[in-house]
Amino acid sequence: MMVCSENKDVFSAVVRSNKKIGQRFYRLGLEFSGDCAEPFGKARPGQFAELDLCGTALPRGEAIPEDLCDMAERNILLRRPFSFCDVTVKGDKTVVDILYDVVGPATLRMTTLSAGDSISIIGPLGNGFAMPSGKETALLVAGGMGAGPLLHLAKVLTADYPNIKVVAFAGAKTATTLPFEKRLDEVSEVLGFPLAEFAGYGIESLVATDDGSAGYKGFVTDCLLEWLGRCGLAAKDMIIYSCGPEKMLAKVAEIAQEKNIDCQISMERMMACGIGICQSCAVECKVAGSNETVYKLCCKDGPVFNSNEIVFSN
Amino acid sequence: MKDNVDISVDFAGVKLANPVFTASGTSGYADELADFVDINLLGGFITKSITLKPRKGNAPPRIVETDAGMLNAIGLANIGLDKFIKEKLPILERMTTAVFVNVAGETIDEYVAVVERLATERVIAGFELNISCPNVAKGGISFGTEPGQVSEITSAVKKAVGEKILIVKLTPTVTDISVIANAAVEAGADALSMVNTFTAMVIDIETRKPVLANRTGGLSGPAIKPIAAYLVNKVYNEVAKKNRIPILGGGGIRTASDAIEFIIAGASAVAVGTANFIEPDCTTKIIEGIKKYCVRKETNIKELIGSLGK
Repeated sequence: MMVCSENKDVFSAVVRSNKKIGQRFYRLGLEFSGDCAEPFGKARPGQFAELDLCGTALPRGEAIPEDLCDMAERNILLRRPFSFCDVTVKGDKTVVDILYDVVGPATLRMTTLSAGDSISIIGPLGNGFAMPSGKETALLVAGGMGAGPLLHLAKVLTADYPNIKVVAFAGAKTATTLPFEKRLDEVSEVLGFPLAEFAGYGIESLVATDDGSAGYKGFVTDCLLEWLGRCGLAAKDMIIYSCGPEKMLAKVAEIAQEKNIDCQISMERMMACGIGICQSCAVECKVAGSNETVYKLCCKDGPVFNSNEIVFSN
Repeated sequence: MKDNVDISVDFAGVKLANPVFTASGTSGYADELADFVDINLLGGFITKSITLKPRKGNAPPRIVETDAGMLNAIGLANIGLDKFIKEKLPILERMTTAVFVNVAGETIDEYVAVVERLATERVIAGFELNISCPNVAKGGISFGTEPGQVSEITSAVKKAVGEKILIVKLTPTVTDISVIANAAVEAGADALSMVNTFTAMVIDIETRKPVLANRTGGLSGPAIKPIAAYLVNKVYNEVAKKNRIPILGGGGIRTASDAIEFIIAGASAVAVGTANFIEPDCTTKIIEGIKKYCVRKETNIKELIGSLGK
């Protein structure tokens, strides 16, 4: 049943495109029509949606990467949460793009979605990134697939906050695992090369790879630290937005705390429902003025949190 | 005609518009699910477990998916009785569906204290006694696996419920569930709820550790449905029928036909759990499907209950 409202709900979307953009990365375009376009048209960067992929077929045997053959045999039951890398309102239609990495039985199925297919989606869910009021510079720090919601944020920031300078940092293990479609390889810089997706919004970007196959050799957090060391900007005028693996987020949070920079991070958890019912997606958070901690819900209280709130597990 | 077909049931003296409940822990305190489904269309609503004091719950990971199911080890995370009364009861008071409060605790006194505080609340039709949670160190399942303990806690809580009905929720992780069901009925249970999740484990072969931080969790979802249907039928035949005690049956119900299987097996009403996570409005489809079945087979719920042939 398709329900139309201004809020989160169970919706039906039509696949517009599903393009392979790298080794294991895809970009899925979903279209929402009529009155149902409005809720997703208002989706904020950092929010997410739950996709039902149970009815989606697996790829043909030979199209399944060898390391995923074993887990491909597993059936899936639960929806899967994804954030958005782009939201575009065109007349009475909204197109939502999702960047995804093929890692298991659900994302393997996702690769077989093709234009015209219909898919059940619950969203938009959760709290997105808070806008940078009173700031002069916004730093977007992405690790691997964490680039998704930060691309969406880049678009919104440049459109709504033209006076704020935005700098993007994108990290990956190696050049081929950067989840971007186009790279402006010809424009070389001291550190890395700009990514076309960010350049399209007029944003400077820095790339870091663990093996140095593209841009800075090392972790994206080290790249960030070096940049902060030479930028000459006051901490109070900056804000960091970050999304990526939890170990990276812990490091970003540590840097933000040391430098006294406001920082928001988008967390990831296994979720059964995504709508605050199952209590699965617990994120341990500090309680102000106390040594106690509480579990907040990634789906409902997050997925975006202030970095100083989170108790990172090692 | 299909729209007005009567699928109402009498459940231990409580008149329900239809036999479909949402199971405890899969529909929050009602406000979360209300964004997706009209709670008042349900036959009954059961809150997530309430304990005397707030509970933080277990460390993550708290869930893992399995083939046709999932394991959870939430650890009874809840806001506690005081906050429940202040924040959630006013929301439940606006409901016209039959509201049941699921109660858990570490000691019998805690269960009794929660029930005593809520027993006079007009909106509450009854209580579901959770003596079957597999994911807490104290209380929970330990009350539900030994007949003497079941009897003791059931009779203690029965004294506190007053006019309200007392449903005892059973764990399937026992040698003979009928022995436990019988102990609950003899100690005053007005109804039985079955089954809670099955204690289970998923192992990460890379780390050689259990995936869940709690090590074990409770298996739910379609994987357990045939076992749950069998256990409902067993308890119906061996305990419930002769004592005229209704069963709230469930375990892996996703569709109307799943629900009808449980009713034929002996359940007077059914609880939908894991399916709410996947399709938050699945209960309304199940209610409509039951109506259609009753029309097509020219039958009604009363005639269907426990009608399993030889």
